Amino acid sequence: MEAHSRPTARTGAGQRRISGTRRALLLGGAALAGNAALAGRLWQLQVVESDTYREQAAHNRARTRPIQPLRGLIYDRNREPLVANAPVFSVWLAPADLPPEREGPAMANLAVLTGERLEDLRFKLSQARLAPDTPARLARAVPRESALTIEERRQELPGISVRTSTRREYAHGDVLGHILGFTGPIPAEEVEAYRQQGVRFDEDIGLAGIERSLQTRLRGRDGEQRLETDAFGRALHELSFTPPQVGQHAVLTIAVNEQQAIREILARHLALRERGAGAVVVLRPDSGDIVAMVSLPDYDSNIFTRGASSESFALLVSDPRRPLINHAISGLYPPGSTYKVIAASGALEAGVVLPQSKIHCDGRLILPSGWAFDDWLPQGHGFVDLQRAIAESCNIYFYNVSGGNPYTQLQGLGNRRLAEFERSFGFGERTGIDLPGEASGLVPTSEWKNRNLQQPWVTGDTYHAAIGQGLVQVTPLQIASMYAAIGNGGRVMRPRLVDRLLDQHGKVAERFPPRVRSILPVSDTNLRLLQAGLYRAVNEPQGTGPRARSSHTVVAGKTGTAEYSGARDAEGRLPSHAWFAGYAPAEQPEYGFAVLVRDGGEGSFAAAPIARDIVDYLMTGDMPPLPQERPDFISPDHRL
Amino acid sequence: MLVRLARIEWATIISTIALVAFGVLMLSTTAEPDSTGLENQAVQKAVLGAVGLAFAFAMAQVDYRVLHGLAGPVFLLGVLALILVLLVGDFDLGARRWFELGPIVIQPSEFMKLAAIVAFAKYLSDRSDSTRLLRTVMVGLGLMLIPASLVFLQPDLGTALIFSAIWMAMVFVAGARWWHLLTPIVIALAAFPFAWFFAQDYMRQRFVTFLDPGSDPLGAGYNVLQARISIGSGGWFGHGLGQGSQSQLEFLRVRDTDFIFAMLGEQLGLAGTMGLLAFFTLLIVQALVIGLRARDMFGRLLAIGIAAMLFSQSFVNIGMNVGLMPVTGITLPLVSLGKNSLLVTLLSVGILLSIHSHRGAAPFRQQSMHVVRGSLPAAGSRGGLGR
Repeated sequence: MEAHSRPTARTGAGQRRISGTRRALLLGGAALAGNAALAGRLWQLQVVESDTYREQAAHNRARTRPIQPLRGLIYDRNREPLVANAPVFSVWLAPADLPPEREGPAMANLAVLTGERLEDLRFKLSQARLAPDTPARLARAVPRESALTIEERRQELPGISVRTSTRREYAHGDVLGHILGFTGPIPAEEVEAYRQQGVRFDEDIGLAGIERSLQTRLRGRDGEQRLETDAFGRALHELSFTPPQVGQHAVLTIAVNEQQAIREILARHLALRERGAGAVVVLRPDSGDIVAMVSLPDYDSNIFTRGASSESFALLVSDPRRPLINHAISGLYPPGSTYKVIAASGALEAGVVLPQSKIHCDGRLILPSGWAFDDWLPQGHGFVDLQRAIAESCNIYFYNVSGGNPYTQLQGLGNRRLAEFERSFGFGERTGIDLPGEASGLVPTSEWKNRNLQQPWVTGDTYHAAIGQGLVQVTPLQIASMYAAIGNGGRVMRPRLVDRLLDQHGKVAERFPPRVRSILPVSDTNLRLLQAGLYRAVNEPQGTGPRARSSHTVVAGKTGTAEYSGARDAEGRLPSHAWFAGYAPAEQPEYGFAVLVRDGGEGSFAAAPIARDIVDYLMTGDMPPLPQERPDFISPDHRL
Repeated sequence: MLVRLARIEWATIISTIALVAFGVLMLSTTAEPDSTGLENQAVQKAVLGAVGLAFAFAMAQVDYRVLHGLAGPVFLLGVLALILVLLVGDFDLGARRWFELGPIVIQPSEFMKLAAIVAFAKYLSDRSDSTRLLRTVMVGLGLMLIPASLVFLQPDLGTALIFSAIWMAMVFVAGARWWHLLTPIVIALAAFPFAWFFAQDYMRQRFVTFLDPGSDPLGAGYNVLQARISIGSGGWFGHGLGQGSQSQLEFLRVRDTDFIFAMLGEQLGLAGTMGLLAFFTLLIVQALVIGLRARDMFGRLLAIGIAAMLFSQSFVNIGMNVGLMPVTGITLPLVSLGKNSLLVTLLSVGILLSIHSHRGAAPFRQQSMHVVRGSLPAAGSRGGLGR
């Protein structure tokens, strides 16, 4: 090979000695090296990394579409549907099918068509981009005409589609608001938790009531459709289909007509009072089944799913009576005299007093420290035994048996034992009803007071606890549950709101049988003494609850007038909540109940007539006459 | 005549036919299902390939040295066509690259590649004793920059770069000094930041995408990523002809032209891609061997130019398919759809065959270059290249 640099290609005979051979070979070598590099790269792509790309190709062509199950329904005891899934049009986006350069016009078009705000749409889009293969909802409850227009203009709106979904429509949302609750978008802080349960961020979930407590059961599980799609997002055919697991239906223990009537009875009585607010719980003593649960003022479940006007929503939120809260289970109140049965049974069981032992009541007990504790009756009840003390609601008697009396050397039950009895009656902890937001209440002890108020426990605290004042806090449901237990012979039942769950074919998927929470630590003999006291409270002339007397059955129960700190009235008295709790019939009771009228004044005037009307209604099935039309009607202005 | 046939380079012919066949095969899997006869692009390509190949055979009989005399006029004609296409060409996909004359589309830059090879070969072989002079290299550079810059203005950066690759290879073999060649490369590298500053957005975008196709999977990086997925998912033997979700469901775009190699990779796997690469390598090696055996410098440089054209285009195209090169819109010679490119490549193969068949004891053997030059007017009247 000659040197490349020497020019040799001369004319004529020098013909064959042309230059550039070495350099041409060099170029050939470079070309071979280049192609060898390509071959190496092909080996890498097609052999070494092939599995990765195969996966990506499969991922490319397969589009997964979740099939959302229909949300389960809710029925009342008589299988009357309380909620329906109404069809509604929503707008969805397959993020991978919307090229970024077409986002702008597509979102602007959608904003006009759906009435959504452009920045909201953009936010949802940016959220959806995080999971490009998961369709996301851009707008819900779009009018039918808009839905049709969007369908027609699909060419301008790549990746956008209209789906028919559902919205909850509550048949008796106005009377069942606190029980059924409502559904709505997931609160931002809970999105992550729900995502782990397989719930998408833009799905409606139960936010209150049964809708919330049974969310997982009502929702069911997503099905999945895998589609083969081409590069333009057109579905070609189905690769696989897993049907959704339809949500279960719930059958409640309440009957909508009874709930409606009892709510109406409470509403009528409250209507007479300016700041009418109150709660009623009625349950079956034997099973704990909730018959009715009302907390007024309440709300209509439908305003949340239909989209409440901001005005009505603002009213709900700003109302000082807090209508969005179910006060029957979440409201905490001092129970007043309805609580006295606990101290009574404790004193009997502990042998502090004999049933027939009489304690003198002269209207006031002054401790050596100088503190005075009054009875509600200034002149006193005289000598009272246990039954009379309950019937006439004598405070002095219960001060004596709970905190003791330094003058008579009577050893009271004491704070520790009293608190034990309170707990065994179901206080200080949640009853376990199938509703969210239940409060546990407070059973005060010296430890609690030390820790939370940094104050020592004094005898007066025990006195107050015995009569349901001071630090004690309970929910109306707890009170109803206690009276049901006294009525049924001593079993504290777990309140039952959901009787059973049905599968999509209507077969029972799960039953929730009645459950005993605890047995009252009270002997049958002593329980009968309590029951007799409660009977006499309603049915004897000196009793505090004659206005609870029913003409259709025998009622046993107890009034309560629970003072709470607030502005005193003209005579220097604290404002008070009015209670009446009991059961009916007195023998083998069918109903246990608690009635609370917030800021209602005297329990015997404000709450007892409500209990009577409810019992009358439950016994006859007829609505009782309006309170004003009753012969024993007492104007709400009346104060004793 | 028989003697000439015997001298035909069969390896060249076979690899050419094989590459065209690969193209026909691939196009047949993407053709509209209801297109029949000549409407079918695979059939069109097969027919055109056959005609072109027959033409190449015919060219083998003609002494390539007729081109020496045609070089100047053909080069001028090509430059005129490039100017014309800039002025009145059809504006399509943001560029002016071709004329549409009824059903026929003419893309001057394709023909210009061959015209430039012929012109460079003539220029460099005529000055084979002065290629070491900077002046010769610089004038040659100017000669190359005329068509290259016209093509660049279309804009078609890829093809412009092909011109410079061809030129570099030819000047290198012609015997230019190393530093004469290295200096422009160094200058080009040094100028890169400035070029970046003045470059059009699509060029920058392509460069960025080349470096990181995942940066914008739905936008600029889409094709690169999809091509890589297509090829990779092919595995050893591919999904089979007409199979493969990437190309059949059109995740792979421009699958008939720029990314036909990716489609091949998906359908025929490593076996197919290696086969294709082997035939390209064979063809390029043959072109080089023909160049080495050529009877004169003109023939050698012609063959080197054609080899450089085939290699640079196939390397850039396959490199872009596998993600080793940026996207430049260079098609795969002989394989891609594109009749101009097919025709020009087959013409080039015809020239190779002619160089080969006239390498040795041919009738012209005793003739000197002067004689050849003198005979050119007559030769020109013989050739079929004027078409």
